[in-house]
Amino acid sequence: MDGPAGPPRPAAGPGPEPTRLDRAKLLAARYRAAEARPYLASALYALAVVPSRAVPTMGVDRHWRAYVSPRFVDDTPVAELAGVWVHEVAHLLRDHHGRAARLSAADQRDHVRVNIAQDCEINDDLLADGLPLPEGRMEPRLFGLPAGGLFEAYLPGIPPTPRHHPDCGSGAHGVPVPWELGADGPGGVGRMEAGALRRQTAQAMRAHRRSRGHLPAGWQRWADELLEPAVDWRRALSGAVREAAAWAGGAVDYTYRRPSRRTPALGGRVVLPSLRRPLPRVAVVIDTSGSMGEAELAAALAEVTGVLREVGVRGNRVAVLACDADVHTVTRVTRAEQVVLEGGGGTDMAVGIRAALGLPDRPDIVVVLTDGYTPWPPEPVSCRVVAALVGETPPDPPGWVETVRVPPGA
Amino acid sequence: MNDGRPSALAAADALGARLRATRTEPAANPQLEALALAVTADQPVLLWGEPGIGKSAGMQQLADALGTGLETVIASVHEPSDFAGLPIVGDDPATTGVPMAPPDWAVRLARTGHGLLFLDELSSAPPAVQAALLRVVLERRVGSLVLPEGVRVVAAANPPAGAADGWHLSPPLANRFVHLDWTHDPRTVARGMAGTWPVTALPAVDPARTPGAVARARGAVSGFLTARPGLVHHMPNEAEARGRAWPSPRTWEMALRLLATGYAAGSSGEALAAALAGAVGEGAGLELIAYLENLDLPDPDRVLADPDAFALPDRGDRQLAFLIAVVAAVQAEPTRPRWEAGWAVLAKAVDAGVPDVAARAAADLAAMRDLDWPVPSGIDAFVELLQLSGALPGGG
Repeated sequence: MDGPAGPPRPAAGPGPEPTRLDRAKLLAARYRAAEARPYLASALYALAVVPSRAVPTMGVDRHWRAYVSPRFVDDTPVAELAGVWVHEVAHLLRDHHGRAARLSAADQRDHVRVNIAQDCEINDDLLADGLPLPEGRMEPRLFGLPAGGLFEAYLPGIPPTPRHHPDCGSGAHGVPVPWELGADGPGGVGRMEAGALRRQTAQAMRAHRRSRGHLPAGWQRWADELLEPAVDWRRALSGAVREAAAWAGGAVDYTYRRPSRRTPALGGRVVLPSLRRPLPRVAVVIDTSGSMGEAELAAALAEVTGVLREVGVRGNRVAVLACDADVHTVTRVTRAEQVVLEGGGGTDMAVGIRAALGLPDRPDIVVVLTDGYTPWPPEPVSCRVVAALVGETPPDPPGWVETVRVPPGA
Repeated sequence: MNDGRPSALAAADALGARLRATRTEPAANPQLEALALAVTADQPVLLWGEPGIGKSAGMQQLADALGTGLETVIASVHEPSDFAGLPIVGDDPATTGVPMAPPDWAVRLARTGHGLLFLDELSSAPPAVQAALLRVVLERRVGSLVLPEGVRVVAAANPPAGAADGWHLSPPLANRFVHLDWTHDPRTVARGMAGTWPVTALPAVDPARTPGAVARARGAVSGFLTARPGLVHHMPNEAEARGRAWPSPRTWEMALRLLATGYAAGSSGEALAAALAGAVGEGAGLELIAYLENLDLPDPDRVLADPDAFALPDRGDRQLAFLIAVVAAVQAEPTRPRWEAGWAVLAKAVDAGVPDVAARAAADLAAMRDLDWPVPSGIDAFVELLQLSGALPGGG
């Protein structure tokens, strides 16, 4: 991790190469880090120390082994070493190697830039938290980037030829480096165990915040996201529509109109029915008044129609209705651009749902796109209703409506 | 060896045979071990994986390791009647009735009495076929034929996001399976193309361990659910998660079986963890694993009674949990012999090379000292560390 430690030193630097690792100093630093940040104690102590001459400063691998350079320990004061300990364990807690594996292939190969972006994500929190770090550390402000972001967002802003070459090992950027022991080495923490450690640490952070009240914002966000992950609204909405379509389309029936192809095999003495599968009909009801944004509406509508196309519901099986309660008109549209958003109040989705159920070809599913400030039908209607609520803190629809929240700016 | 084939084809087949000859090397494979564990415990398994990443190859490996045959049935090319049996009309149906003949693979399995039935591409079959197949998986019946006890059933599906027809498992069905994700490791595949495939040694149940394993698993799951009653039944809020594993009394029963089987077979922690998370879901599974790790710590009172006869846990965070428990035990009953035994325990941590883990506990123990108790010799081991870290004056 040259991030906090400046450029890699040549092997014949100032002073003789230390013969052995100053374990007492290194562990004193870890003790100091664990005392200052008690919620990180479990994770810090789970790291296994491996002395290594090859590693420039300090690095971790995905098995929670910490590779430490004896020279780096000799040259760095304990207070800064404690900061480096927290820095390295943060790479593992935030699953940087797992997230790096989801980057595009070109970004993955450029592991130096990935490592810098990751260091930026960690260090701004550590410095805000008052932890000293060695000279030459990476921070978002060095690259003119805002603090408090995730490394995926920082990555495009990192120049291609950085001044320093940090290397926190494969535990950070995911690319194996020469000094690491690999999967078959002694000790180490497995993938599921690491997951349990992360959960434990997140819970310790919450307990710490309740009792002492102070927790850096970055760690707070991380713990909340880990314990209650925010599901991407697109996945939630497509999941809800998909499930409704599967439920409505599940009414598979036997028919004798086309005999089964197995009939001749039985000597023609028994006529077996074949299967037919009716496709569900879907009505999408759009609230044109209220505080719906064009962009959110288009995104939500695209998501719904995309899923319906995927499950084979298309063409005349989908009806899109624009509903404006003021004039009680319901118009049937074919493209999202035809929906005119009126703004202003006075919505009544009950009207829209009733209109959808009154269509000549009755839908099995009604998908409602609304801001939520609307009356709903007083009792459950005779089809499945999925509501996508767009906007800030929309009120809850009744319990029989499956609800997905689309945050503003989606 | 030319058996009448045209020479061009014979040469091509010889090339194919050469390609098929591969070497194997032993390697750990937690996902295959988790699958073996769930199959050994006789729980219905649903493998989620993208098409073409070696699910079938994994099943073949598993069947070889279990020493049984593998019957693969591609669900998407069948009709429901294939699983409900086909009517065979005799000369006089009015008196003899119409028997429903089971398909040949079911007959083969019933005849051998054991085997691995692999239902592939469950998610691309029409819903009626899925319904008929689930009867095979959950009730082990094919038409009028009941599959024998020794037959294990595994189903495979493509994730909803990856499947073109967007198959969604309904929550009651999802809750009856152990869900395992099947992924591929690019490095393993690259090595396999070079001619070397990994082979995993799969654990088998040891009859000698069975009674202890059952008691231990019962105690662990029951203790965990007593401590966390909220996790007994918790259905997720969104559709995607409801179609996977989530905790309910039924899945906890599955988790209990998996845990007992894992203990009796000496499974690796990673495989057991994956199987448990596949039964009760990621969140509840990980909490259970953390709880089990704490259960495995030595009993502090027993250790204080005989501080020379215990082994320190091997990972730092567990050592920390154990030493905190020891200090709490001394604090609950602070007598001089127990206090000195506490120092003997800490000395072991220093010998193991982790004085920083024990330093916190040492400070707490030192604070408990009665004025007429002598200063223990073990305290020196921590002075340097505490000074260096700045917790005590006089350090660097």
